[in-house]
Amino acid sequence: MKSCNYIKERIDEADKPNLLSFEVTEHISECSDCERFASDRSALRMLVASGTRVSAPINFNVRLNARLAEVKVRRSFRWLGSPGYLRLGAATAGLVVMVFAAQYAGLLKDQSRLTDSRGQQAAQTPKPEQFGYPTLSPEVPRSSNLPVVAASGRRYPVYSGTTAPRARRGDLAVSGVAPASYLTAEDGGVVLVRGQNGDMDVQMPTVSVGAQPLLYVRASQRAVRNIGTSF
Amino acid sequence: MAAVTHQAQAIELSGSRSIEAANDHELLAAIRDGDELAFQEIVRRYRNPITNFVYRMLDDYDRSVELAQETFIRVYTSASRYQANYSFSTYIYRIATNLAISELRRRKRRKTVSLFSPFTNDDGEAVEIDPPDLNILQDEALIRNERRSAVARAITSLPPKYRAAIVLRDVEGLSYDQIADALKLSEGTVKSRINRARNLLKEKLSAYI
Repeated sequence: MKSCNYIKERIDEADKPNLLSFEVTEHISECSDCERFASDRSALRMLVASGTRVSAPINFNVRLNARLAEVKVRRSFRWLGSPGYLRLGAATAGLVVMVFAAQYAGLLKDQSRLTDSRGQQAAQTPKPEQFGYPTLSPEVPRSSNLPVVAASGRRYPVYSGTTAPRARRGDLAVSGVAPASYLTAEDGGVVLVRGQNGDMDVQMPTVSVGAQPLLYVRASQRAVRNIGTSF
Repeated sequence: MAAVTHQAQAIELSGSRSIEAANDHELLAAIRDGDELAFQEIVRRYRNPITNFVYRMLDDYDRSVELAQETFIRVYTSASRYQANYSFSTYIYRIATNLAISELRRRKRRKTVSLFSPFTNDDGEAVEIDPPDLNILQDEALIRNERRSAVARAITSLPPKYRAAIVLRDVEGLSYDQIADALKLSEGTVKSRINRARNLLKEKLSAYI
């Protein structure tokens, strides 16, 4: 004879409460406890199953189709609403705007300063000899894009391209010292700062933390001038 | 012209017949290919069982209809991801169960207190204080209604994990392995939960047994 626990498990697991296996019916015919358990379970299961069965409302399909249409529209724009994509896009756009704004602000500032102060400062232009930097020797090959300039007893590679000088790295922050007339596109000069100048790396002597001499090469005179300090 | 119309109707009829005869997996494959009729057929087959199941879980008809519709929307939108490892009924009941349990959790977070269950037992579960009405009712319909509402209240007072298992088993008639698949549980756990749920229901419904 099977144990009562085993029989109760079989009663509980029966697919239909009134369709019990032979071993269970045989057991409960002899065991009043299991018989009562089977009876209770059967009544309970029928009671639970007898609860109200609700149906979907008549307009179920209409409402479902309306919601589905909304979902389809939303799904067609889902790529736009992706939070990750949106965040990355916003960050990239913000960065691009900031970079362009900074560049345009700098360029406009340079342009106005150059235009306004050119006439005024032309008369006050310091002589090249004042700076004590050597004049480029005529034997420096003009075809070379990398003439070597001796300054303060050391030699530095210098970029001497013929394109208009691009105001970079605080060169105009010292415009009180730097003659604006040097910064013209016509003479093909270039302001040199420590670091990358175009495609050339320029090394400069550092005079203090964060400050360095700002050198200027004028193509027509081929002279190096100190036009101030770059910060 | 009439011949063309007749031919179109014939095609449509044969199409609808084939859709009605198709099994769930075939219908899902058709939905994946964008067949709206196949989706309508799935809805026709399962709208009542799913609505009833969610209603038994929530005891709130309007919300049950909304969640049943949400279930079908999820079936539609995830048809491409459906894998025919399980029966479709298991799959759709799993979606409905998850939605219903999420809804129950949302309600629990709102901390609504039922007037029927202002007390809790040692396990922190709501205890329904609902003494049976011992007066003899002459109207059989009233008795039936009273019994049905008592059963509904007893089921909704169960913890969600027991509730889902007992409704799927005793109301929807799913097998243990189908319930195990739907709830992502082992069969042993399902049996244990159903047994526990029945014991709790027996206590609550002792007046009606």
